Amino acid sequence: MTTETRKIPSIKRRKTANHQSFALTVEQAAPCNKKWFAVDADGQVVGRLATRIATVLMGKHKPDYTPNVDSGDYVVVVNVDRIRFTGRQMSHPTIPYYTTKTAQKVYQRFSGFPSGRKIMTAADRLAKKPDDILMNAVRRMLPKTKLGRNMLMKLRLFSGPKHDHQAQRPAEFPTFV
Amino acid sequence: MRIKSGSIRHRKKKRIFKEAEGRVGGRRRLWRTVIDGVIKGRVYAYKGRKLKKRDVRALWITRLNAACMMRGLSYSKFIHGLKLANVGLNRRTLSELAIREPQIFDEIIALVKGALAKAA
Repeated sequence: MTTETRKIPSIKRRKTANHQSFALTVEQAAPCNKKWFAVDADGQVVGRLATRIATVLMGKHKPDYTPNVDSGDYVVVVNVDRIRFTGRQMSHPTIPYYTTKTAQKVYQRFSGFPSGRKIMTAADRLAKKPDDILMNAVRRMLPKTKLGRNMLMKLRLFSGPKHDHQAQRPAEFPTFV
Repeated sequence: MRIKSGSIRHRKKKRIFKEAEGRVGGRRRLWRTVIDGVIKGRVYAYKGRKLKKRDVRALWITRLNAACMMRGLSYSKFIHGLKLANVGLNRRTLSELAIREPQIFDEIIALVKGALAKAA
């Protein structure tokens, strides 16, 4: 009886992968290496703009994005009061781009007390706190962590066409994000 | 004769306590909580080793997507183009190239775009 002994090729255990590829780089973490971008919110749809801003704040537009480091750039937004919601266009004395959604969309808060439900339409909010709408939209798209909250510090909103970050010389907002 | 496992058990406990170093309160000091924590910690470590492979691959893809988008191509199109162009580089290498050797990555993109145009 011959038993053929097949030689099983021994699998050499490879050394664990060199995980430098996702380690943080010092240059990246340094705030001086962050870029500034400016974007005009005039007539832009809130959510569409917010996703692009959130991408840049997180740094996901860069090939060296690192999730445990704030690798994002600064974003300056002007004309936040001239933001648009989708829907049928209607006329309004003060609000530009007044649509059906601006009139109907409801922002709710609940204080925790009985009958503590506060309701505000998008139109009310736009009139009262114009930058709140975009700020909230972006905030909720960022990671719900300390890092995420710090990322929001890099977002600067201005109602009206002017901003006071000329010193930082913000570049044009990248179109590919 | 009754044999107690004194020294053996002492050795074992010493080893486990060593592993529980750096934890807080009873999870470092008290045997009953220490043994729980150490066993659970090993379970998490096992799981973490498996998850790391997925997480890192996802990170490579995120980075590649960014590198492709800034060159006017989405990640999915890029991967499709790689198949067409018969490029066998893996995602890890590609993302490393995109970070450290952007010029070479540019060439790969050109190759991919050529292959995509040919197929279309």
